[in-house]
Amino acid sequence: MVIMIKVDNVTKTYGKGENLFTALYKVSLEIPTASTNAIVGKSGSGKSTLMHIMSGLDHPSSGEVIIDGKALGEFKPKQMDAFRAEEMSFIFQAFFIEANQTCYQNVMLPLEIARVPKRDRAKKVKAALTAVGLEDKIDSLANNLSGGQKQRLAIARAIVNKPKIIFADEPTGNLDSATGEMIIKLLFDLNKKLKCTLVVVTHDPEIAEHCKNKIEMKDGEIISTTGIKHKRLGK
Amino acid sequence: MSIRDIIRRSGRSIKSAKGRTILTALAIAVGTFALTLTLAASNGATAFVNKIIKDNFDPSELFVAADESLFGQGNTTKPREYDPSFGTSTTNAGASRQIKRITQEDIDKIKKVDGVESVREQIAVSARYITREGEKKYVATVAAYNPAQKPEFLAGNVNDFEGKKIILPEGYLQDLGFDSAQDAIGKNVEIVVPKTLTAEELRAQLLKGTLPTNADQLAQATDNNSEAIQFNIAAVSKKPITSQPGTELYIYTPGDEAKALNDITTQGTANYQKYNFVLVKVAGGTDDNKLKATQQKLKDLGFQVRSVEETQEFLTNIIGVLQGIVAGFGFIAIIASVFGIINTMYISVLQRTREIGLMKALGMRKRDIGRLFRFEAGWIGFLGGAIGSLAAIVLGSLLNPWITKQLDLGAGNNLLIFKPIQVAGLVLALIIISVLAGWLPSRKAAKLDPIEALRTE
Ligand SMILES: Nc1ncnc2c1ncn2[C@@H]1O[C@H](COP(=O)(O)OP(=O)(O)O)[C@@H](O)[C@H]1O
Ligand SMILES: [Mg+2]
Repeated sequence: MVIMIKVDNVTKTYGKGENLFTALYKVSLEIPTASTNAIVGKSGSGKSTLMHIMSGLDHPSSGEVIIDGKALGEFKPKQMDAFRAEEMSFIFQAFFIEANQTCYQNVMLPLEIARVPKRDRAKKVKAALTAVGLEDKIDSLANNLSGGQKQRLAIARAIVNKPKIIFADEPTGNLDSATGEMIIKLLFDLNKKLKCTLVVVTHDPEIAEHCKNKIEMKDGEIISTTGIKHKRLGK
Repeated sequence: MSIRDIIRRSGRSIKSAKGRTILTALAIAVGTFALTLTLAASNGATAFVNKIIKDNFDPSELFVAADESLFGQGNTTKPREYDPSFGTSTTNAGASRQIKRITQEDIDKIKKVDGVESVREQIAVSARYITREGEKKYVATVAAYNPAQKPEFLAGNVNDFEGKKIILPEGYLQDLGFDSAQDAIGKNVEIVVPKTLTAEELRAQLLKGTLPTNADQLAQATDNNSEAIQFNIAAVSKKPITSQPGTELYIYTPGDEAKALNDITTQGTANYQKYNFVLVKVAGGTDDNKLKATQQKLKDLGFQVRSVEETQEFLTNIIGVLQGIVAGFGFIAIIASVFGIINTMYISVLQRTREIGLMKALGMRKRDIGRLFRFEAGWIGFLGGAIGSLAAIVLGSLLNPWITKQLDLGAGNNLLIFKPIQVAGLVLALIIISVLAGWLPSRKAAKLDPIEALRTE
């Protein structure tokens, strides 16, 4: 089993002195390549914080994160940006698509950021939109899409540059259950097809059932896992 | 992200916030409009001055005077020591003022200076009047014709311009009873110039017993003493467009004749054969170095010397000062609109917090995020500059014929001359100013914490 993400003894605190708040406490975790993973737990349990640290958006107060054999802590900001642009991508609860741009322009963004040569772009955008079933909306304004279509557009944007890891933070939180299910199905299909590592943050136990591995969090600690090992250190 | 992609993306966000963008751009457009018109007017005025100079002066000639005040220099509040060679000259206020003049001796000295080809006196004689049989008398000034002048003729020519001949300005035609310009050619007019009574004439009258004994009558007799001379009309000049102001009705006669008239009017006075200015032609004077060398030699002899180029600069400087004032207002308008840009860009950053967070999460570099907003500001500057200068060009082109007519500039002369390179330079400068104005907001965007920006709650 090849490990894609290794979280090693990560602690994250906010504030100082009286106001010191520990959002993550000595979290250690190994996520295998091309696996599907659910991080579950109640609101405020530290799921998003863990995801941000795993993706290099945030820095741990102590401990380290190693992705694909590279320690994120050793990256300079410029290298970190390039790494994120090329190796990973995000899906958010609130979609974060540009409403007054076309689907094409929305999906193009990661390719521009990663400086993909111009001649390859159109092909990749079309492929990504086709993969989520939005090929006929390519020139429509994102504003004119339904909620489910918007999240599909966000997924197309997430897969367009063939990332190794997709982080999804509550991807179905803003959708009704039928649409949510469809989005989850799409994510898992793409995971199989593209062989990328999928990390889904959710508090919906049903989504978690679909994932091969499950990580349950409470008050900044991992309290149980299924499918993978973790070390739990008491407070 | 490549610069090209950033420019395209920033252009797109401009489009998606049209109202805000247009309003900010309009503020810049107002300043640009004023600046573009000012530049155009400055071009036009300079071109016009150049044309006046070219049509009236020979660039290889130097103006030489003995008195520094004639070039508007020297201290006019400090009394000067009396010099018997001073003649009088009338100032604008009408008072007589004593000034130092160029004498025949000076002219001889100037002629010997290295590089001097020829010297001609600048003469304008105030005649008592010009008239013709059966017509009224009209005031007139007779001046020496300068071949460097290129008057337009309605009739006749100056191919054989020697002896008692004149070029008559169009304005006199009707008053002197001519049917047309052609009608005047070859006809004679009488020019009457004032003459000082000489000592001999006074003695002759005294001997004859005709000299008035009353002091008033004596003064009148001396004042009214005149000489009438017949002149033949060789050509009729069109009302000049580019003459020096005040010389529109000058009647031109060959240099020798003008000198003779001047001698008649000044004989027996301190002004006899003395001149405010002489024009010194420099051999090969179109070469700036030769002109300057001779100019220096003349200055070393104690003369006041000014080249045509310096005269031109003097005039263009005056225009420049006036333009500077208007341009200053345009500049202030642009400075004011810079604050508009800063404000608009802060709003843009605020509105697009989520987008910035997302782009950062997707690995967009700080530097590129900053650029995205600076270029957006640049687009606003470009729009404002384009709108303002285009409006100025359209309005100016429409107004030009009317202005030309109102100011009597003559066909083909435009007050507003737009130069593409200047307009392009102005728009470019505005883009740069706007980019600089976008600096602080763009820094705010670049420093934004993506996690904060993407927080959903
Ligand atoms: N910048 C911050 N400063 C202080 N506390 C924070 C900050 N970010 C997150 N937290 C706290 O950390 C805890 C974990 O937050 P989060 O990871 O977003 O939870 P989840 O995603 O599981 O709902 C919460 O109690 C939250 O209030
Ligand atoms: Mg969360």
